[in-house]
Amino acid sequence: MIACLLIPGFELRAALRSRPRLALVPAALAPDPSEEPLLGPVTAAASTVGVKPGMRLGEALATCPTLALVDRDPAAVEQEWEEVLRRLEDTGFAVDPVEHGVVVFETRGVERLYGGVQQALERALEAVGSGWDPRIGAATRRFTALAAASVARPGQILLVAEKEEESFLDPLPLSLLPLTRERYAELEGLGLRKIGELADLPGGAVAERLGTDGHKAWGLARGGRKAKVRGRKAAAELAEVLVFPEAVGNELTLRRALGSLLERLLARPERAGRPFRKLAMSARLVDGGSWRRAVTLRDATAEVARLRTALGPKLQELPAPLLELRLEAVELAEHTGQQLALVEPGGEETAGRLREGLRQVRASTGSGSVCAVVEVAPWSRIPETRALVVPRDE
Amino acid sequence: MVADSGDASTRRTARRVAGRLNAPLPALVETGFGGAPRVVNRQLVALVREEWRVVDRWWTEQPVDRRYFEVVLESGQNVCVYRDREEGCWFTQNA
Repeated sequence: MIACLLIPGFELRAALRSRPRLALVPAALAPDPSEEPLLGPVTAAASTVGVKPGMRLGEALATCPTLALVDRDPAAVEQEWEEVLRRLEDTGFAVDPVEHGVVVFETRGVERLYGGVQQALERALEAVGSGWDPRIGAATRRFTALAAASVARPGQILLVAEKEEESFLDPLPLSLLPLTRERYAELEGLGLRKIGELADLPGGAVAERLGTDGHKAWGLARGGRKAKVRGRKAAAELAEVLVFPEAVGNELTLRRALGSLLERLLARPERAGRPFRKLAMSARLVDGGSWRRAVTLRDATAEVARLRTALGPKLQELPAPLLELRLEAVELAEHTGQQLALVEPGGEETAGRLREGLRQVRASTGSGSVCAVVEVAPWSRIPETRALVVPRDE
Repeated sequence: MVADSGDASTRRTARRVAGRLNAPLPALVETGFGGAPRVVNRQLVALVREEWRVVDRWWTEQPVDRRYFEVVLESGQNVCVYRDREEGCWFTQNA
């Protein structure tokens, strides 16, 4: 079975780990300054007084003047989420994280080990810890598992048998489908409220009225595709931290600290001489918040000067003085050096640069982002069957 | 966290399956005389350049029966649309 473990409002919960008192009062995750002023997840106390996630900041403050706004803490979120994933991996699950607070995994590999699906999922809940209020939905399809997790209570395991999947999805609200706000409004205008009502419509008509996104949502409303879950490959930690005795905001000091962190990171034996492809800098700020920036290098390198040039300017984006600076290697390149030729064959340099460019794109956007067009039936009269776009991971 | 190239913990939204190139997209089409498109995606059709039919795979469970039109819109844009006679809907596609 495919299981989906869900921790609602993970970003708020992670930010509140250092301020547990706020979890008991009306509080909400503050909007990102660079985005629309809409509230993030809210605490149970805020919810009872009428404050909802996604509400406009002004409206929320008018509804509850004592509402506490919790600053975003991206470094804590990343760290806590990684810990949750590692605990699940330690229990034997090959996890496929979807986003912060949502992770999908197959139970097949560990069912015999723990004595059944239910027992295996109980172990998963235990591994995560009751403090996060996790809940699990399990089904034979990914979307049904996610829908089951969305309606489960904290600590509950909701198993949906294959023959009951359709009847389980039918009465659920449309808001579980990944659609834009405008599309929901459009569907509501058409009198649709439940997933089953959308699933009953003819696919062609849905595609014509709502476009590609609507057609995808229609497919999900009918259960979605059956696909295997591919667990991520467990990552090893390669990071260096520098803790300052007092808050530092001076750019010169910060650049020196970065240089020191780079030298320490480069000296780590786990690197085995491989250059860095992607690095992340994070900082714990003096006011209790955090800051994080990831940098993908155009050419994988282990040269201090080039790394300083790439990372240094990011320090100017720090919003406040910091108490702790952390440098983390997110991804390493495979090669350790380049073999130069006395006389290079024509086009070799261009091809090499192209390969390097593609590796950079993959490192920054993820596996499957670089594709190749493969002609399969160029003679076909049906245009979409002439060629396929195939992910090219090397 | 560190991962070798070809694997990264941050690759959460990766698309790993092969996709179709030139997949048809749903289109809003109003028809005129003889079923030819008059308005495509809220733009008036200035000229129908060509018309042809594709009937294929009739021996399978997914038969193809399409009536293609290559049209020029008022904006000067060249568009290829077809009516899927199986589904009864209009689509745009580069034919």
